[in-house]
Amino acid sequence: MIKLLGSVLIVAASGLGGIAVAGNYSRRPKELKSIRSALQMLETEISYGAAHLQEALSMVAERCDQDVACIFSRTAAELSARTGLTAAQAWEKSIQSYYKESALKAQDFSILRNLGASLGISDRTDQIKHLRLAMEQIGSENLRAEEEAARNVKLWSYLGFLSGFLAVIILY
Amino acid sequence: MNKTEHQFSGWQRGSAGVLEEILPLLPANIRRLVISLDLKLKEKVEEVRIRQGKPLSLSLAEGDILISREGRPARQDSDAYLVTPADMESLINLLSGSSLYALEEELRSGFITLPGGHRAGITGKAVLDGGKVKTLKYLSCCNIRVSREIYGAASEVLPQIINKKCGGIYHTLLLSPPRCGKTTILRDLIRQISSGAPAYGLPGLTVGLVDERSEIAGCCRGIPQRDVGIRTDVLDGCPKAEGMMMLLRSMGPQVIATDEIGRREDADALEEVLNAGVKILTTAHGSSLAELAERPVFSNLIRTKTFERIIILGRSRGVGTIEDIIDGKSLRSLGVKK
Repeated sequence: MIKLLGSVLIVAASGLGGIAVAGNYSRRPKELKSIRSALQMLETEISYGAAHLQEALSMVAERCDQDVACIFSRTAAELSARTGLTAAQAWEKSIQSYYKESALKAQDFSILRNLGASLGISDRTDQIKHLRLAMEQIGSENLRAEEEAARNVKLWSYLGFLSGFLAVIILY
Repeated sequence: MNKTEHQFSGWQRGSAGVLEEILPLLPANIRRLVISLDLKLKEKVEEVRIRQGKPLSLSLAEGDILISREGRPARQDSDAYLVTPADMESLINLLSGSSLYALEEELRSGFITLPGGHRAGITGKAVLDGGKVKTLKYLSCCNIRVSREIYGAASEVLPQIINKKCGGIYHTLLLSPPRCGKTTILRDLIRQISSGAPAYGLPGLTVGLVDERSEIAGCCRGIPQRDVGIRTDVLDGCPKAEGMMMLLRSMGPQVIATDEIGRREDADALEEVLNAGVKILTTAHGSSLAELAERPVFSNLIRTKTFERIIILGRSRGVGTIEDIIDGKSLRSLGVKK
């Protein structure tokens, strides 16, 4: 009886582990897509609205996907607090804290970080160039992430359960 | 000639607090140095001058001083703190609210108005487009002018320009050389006229203010940062001549106020305003009526006795000394009370 209970636990645990890994694979393209469309909004605000960065960020935070809104709202809050932080520093702080809880990979993070370094420090055409570059890079990361997701989501969900069964069979 | 003394420095309340307002806009290194300055010195700061690769300096009424690496007035030039490229970059970021792209217009005019009505003059390399300045890049020098609002700066002048017969004010010109408190007195006059001065039987009048250089109301994104009264409509950053006509047509002002007239079109617009029966409150550079009368733009205005009151300011006994008040019709001094 105890053996049976143990086996069930092993299968459940490894199955859930597999699902968690698969979840990460499927979350990443979603997040990248949301970030990309939020950056698109930011570009519109900067190029047509000529809004100040802080206003532009808050507007984007209100309208974009709520999963990624915190990047923009936190940066805007830091800037409006007027603590002497530059936009690059405020952006860095907020992407750091977002990165910890997200499914993003190091390369996605570095795209965002590079964008932050140029945020607000040049004229409009230059800002648009930087935003477009970041969007393009995120777009290609997104393609890669989708391919990975297609390959790995099913694989990991099965792999988790199957390895659980395998362990049970060996132990039995 | 009677003279009266109006030392602005005596009226400033919490002046060091005004400097605190610009602290968040300074890069960390420079902020630290300014914070550690002596309180008395902080009260007297008129400008903070930051030039890349050059010593950090402060302008006071009596001259400028360099700041040492320890945050004290430097004894020798070699002790002074040198502004680094990183300081400059951070400064521009903070001054522009990290939105340099939204400030192309401001850069073209050479200054940014900051929250609190302070101003940052900026120079760098001009980018030209068709022979005109499009914007600035490689920004390398910055001068932050600390704006101090002084309530009651115009209390001596105000009773002299009230026309008791019709319950309004006279056409008034404030005349002084630069840095004698013209703008400060004009701002306080506007505030008192707009909000009303019951002590002198003056009801609040609707004032239209054309603030071409954003110095009077210190507008930041269109919102006045300085108290210019409750019945004042501010047209910020607009050329004076055009702005006066716009206000005249659209806002129905009883008084039109503007700063530093000097061009031919300004004088033409003033005449237009006079014909519409609106009172004028303005300023000009100059130290005496005779000097003013020699300038072509003003000679006609003085000959036709456009201005009913001409207030001459100086700094013979401190910034904002009222040297004389002249009746524009008789061109005689009305004298000033001790």
